[in-house]
Amino acid sequence: MGTDGDDETTRLTEYTELHGCSCKVGQSDLDSLLADAGLTGENDALLFGIGEDAAGRKLTDDLALVSTVDFFTPIVDDPYDFGRIAACNAASDAFATGAVENVDCLVVLGLPRELTESAAPILAGMADALDAMDGVIAGGHTIMSPWPFAGGAISAIARPEALLTSQGASPGDRLYLTKPLGTQPAMGATRVTDDQFVETVTDATDRPLDQIESDAIEWMTTPNRDAALACREYATAATDITGFGLVGQSRVVADRSTVGIELTHLPVIAGTPALSALFGYGLTVGESAETSGGLFVSVPPTATDAVESALDDADVFYRAVGRVTAGRGVSLVDPTIEEVSR
Amino acid sequence: MARVDVRGEICPRPALIVRQALSDLDTGETLVVRGDYPPAEENLRRMCTTHGIDVTTAETAGESGEFELELRVTEMASLSEA
Repeated sequence: MGTDGDDETTRLTEYTELHGCSCKVGQSDLDSLLADAGLTGENDALLFGIGEDAAGRKLTDDLALVSTVDFFTPIVDDPYDFGRIAACNAASDAFATGAVENVDCLVVLGLPRELTESAAPILAGMADALDAMDGVIAGGHTIMSPWPFAGGAISAIARPEALLTSQGASPGDRLYLTKPLGTQPAMGATRVTDDQFVETVTDATDRPLDQIESDAIEWMTTPNRDAALACREYATAATDITGFGLVGQSRVVADRSTVGIELTHLPVIAGTPALSALFGYGLTVGESAETSGGLFVSVPPTATDAVESALDDADVFYRAVGRVTAGRGVSLVDPTIEEVSR
Repeated sequence: MARVDVRGEICPRPALIVRQALSDLDTGETLVVRGDYPPAEENLRRMCTTHGIDVTTAETAGESGEFELELRVTEMASLSEA
């Protein structure tokens, strides 16, 4: 948890109407925007670009540069934790491509005048998170903004042949997820602080709300770097789970790989299904927005033992969550809901 | 017909306010909800349809994002179970 020493009455989340990856522009709106702007085609100068988690450019036969940018509004009130989550979330887009070396972050930060004292702890949180990913803060840009937001432009390198996109999944592949779902209901519960509803929310789940919040923050501040290192040798496609939720992100992989996806198992943070039902969030049907979620990777059946062994060795959480089919679109097939505690 | 206004409320409060209002109604009664927060409309629809509450749109959103939903408590309503 936070070490900021900031004014405890400051609640970052009160300054915005949307929180974390929930502020992401919707998938269909984004598709329309890109079509309207004529930005739907491939760019020959790049290995991959628009529509993927990050852009990849081949610099030499042995070296590719991956770059991406991601920023969002506060999902927690503590500025230090917000910084850590923002950095993990931004870097995750590079990690989803398998690029994990030489991670540089250019900070993107906006704060209302009333929250300028939060800038230092947000940056400290980002710096500590980058340090844990063997990365550095290399610069940035800060503006005044009525809604606070933080994140960064990330660059990282990899060998070109090591890179992954959302386009390589094949029928028969198994699908893995490297963090449980449920950050949206977990953090939504923390925003209910008035006497009118606190009891309703507390009584909705058998698990103490502070434990659910603590688990969610731990997951959101867990970098996807180790997961990427363990998976990239075996995976055929990868992305990370963010504002579109598991089903939305699965749809991206299904569409871009021209395959179908069946989801059969949803690991969730213990206590969050009841909160999701209370709030109408759709967690148990994979429709709840996730912030700084796990990697979602497809792996050929011949490599599942190897990838599971690599993830075990790296002490990375994972669950097999479904399979790739020769069909189209995304379906939930009587999914098992597994509640996970840290 | 009961009415509740959740304009200006941020998620997850709209769902909590609407649930509380619905819990006061009997089978067959309706509640009209007015809101101005687009994600809340989707969450309210999902919460209602999974708990036996019929949802009809009384008025669709304009640029403002405002919406009005008419909710009817059916015999299958089970709000207390969540």
